[in-house]
Amino acid sequence: MSLTVFLSGHLKTFSNGELEVPLNDDFTTVGDALDSLWRRHPALRDRVLNEQGEIRTHVNIFAGTDDVKRLKGLQTRIASGTELHIFNAVSGG
Amino acid sequence: MVGTAKGLFVLRGENGKWSIDGPHFAGLAVYSAFFDQRKGRNEMWAAPASWHFGAELCKSTDMGKTWDQPENRRIKMPKTSKKSLENIWQIAPGGDADSLYVGVAPAALFESHDRGATWKLNKGLWSHPHRKKWTPGFGGLCLHTIVAEKDDIKIAISTGGVYQSADGGDSWKVTNTGVKAYFLPDQYPEFGQCVHKIARHPKKKNTYFLQNHHGVYRSRDGATTWQEIEDGLPSNFGFGLTVSDAGSVFIVPLQADGQRFTCEGKLRVFRSRDDGSSWQALEKGLPQKNAYEVILRDAVSSVGNNIFVGTKNGKLFASADDGDSWKMIEGSLPEICCVKAYTL
Repeated sequence: MSLTVFLSGHLKTFSNGELEVPLNDDFTTVGDALDSLWRRHPALRDRVLNEQGEIRTHVNIFAGTDDVKRLKGLQTRIASGTELHIFNAVSGG
Repeated sequence: MVGTAKGLFVLRGENGKWSIDGPHFAGLAVYSAFFDQRKGRNEMWAAPASWHFGAELCKSTDMGKTWDQPENRRIKMPKTSKKSLENIWQIAPGGDADSLYVGVAPAALFESHDRGATWKLNKGLWSHPHRKKWTPGFGGLCLHTIVAEKDDIKIAISTGGVYQSADGGDSWKVTNTGVKAYFLPDQYPEFGQCVHKIARHPKKKNTYFLQNHHGVYRSRDGATTWQEIEDGLPSNFGFGLTVSDAGSVFIVPLQADGQRFTCEGKLRVFRSRDDGSSWQALEKGLPQKNAYEVILRDAVSSVGNNIFVGTKNGKLFASADDGDSWKMIEGSLPEICCVKAYTL
């Protein structure tokens, strides 16, 4: 199964500058795909997820155009070819 | 080292002239920094916090030219805690030359005994029966002050109050006797005070000072019991506090809880040279008209008899004469969260 993860530019420090990450692995959920992403870019994990393994409050992950927090979070099922987008949310000060 | 809401600045002063370097971690809030000079080390520590991607502890071994950001962050709440790190409020030297402590929100203490190579949660404090009854203020539930010497560790938590350990952090006792919590029905509870900062006298090792959420106090018995030292102050509210090598105590009173800016539109630092029995208003070189400044808990700092005050409006003031006169050395930094001063 293959898909592509698109990263916010704010994360490129932790992905060796890579902002489009193609993945080929066995995954059925968003969490599986992210595990594959961490293997390629381990530093992303602590920035995207908190210590409890949850998506950080001000980080949004979209499967296609769907915000996975409004679905089943990391357990959201995905199909081959899905585009995953990891954005920093519109927040700050 | 000046931590701001938008990054860390490193300022170097020599013969009254200052240079500035930064921002490091541009755009990220830096509430804590520490320059470790022990054993001849020159290691800078800072804790940038991203609104989006969380807080982390970073180190520089080249005087701030480069900073590491480890893949696996140094400070992480254990999975079993069911908590996540919100911010790092304090980086402090430990009781021996290889130890470091970090205070965080949610209120917890992390310790390293190998110069910061590895870190662990202090379980003695985390398992304290009071912990689940501590409550957050505007800054979150934060452990923001650490004063350590050998096995003696004193900490302050908002809101929780002062706790201390005499055995290197294995066990902790609460020591808030005399400190008021005006916002609680029982105004002198065992714990639950919103202590904003504590500092130790440089020579009188059992003498401590405390800036409370309304209240200024002194302890003569090793931060165990506290007495009010407010006579002569325009307000007993404030955040920052430091003690110079000369033993002078410095605070910046703010107008009441509900307003939280400098009293009467004047930026006045108050100094006591008799352990809080009397206070002098220091004004020379500080704005005395339309100066509505806010000074945060770690933005009053000293090294030797050099005193520094940073404001939320981004002004940094310095005194080289134990507070007698002041000079603004930067006027347009982002909101200043912490000032940490060192002599090279």
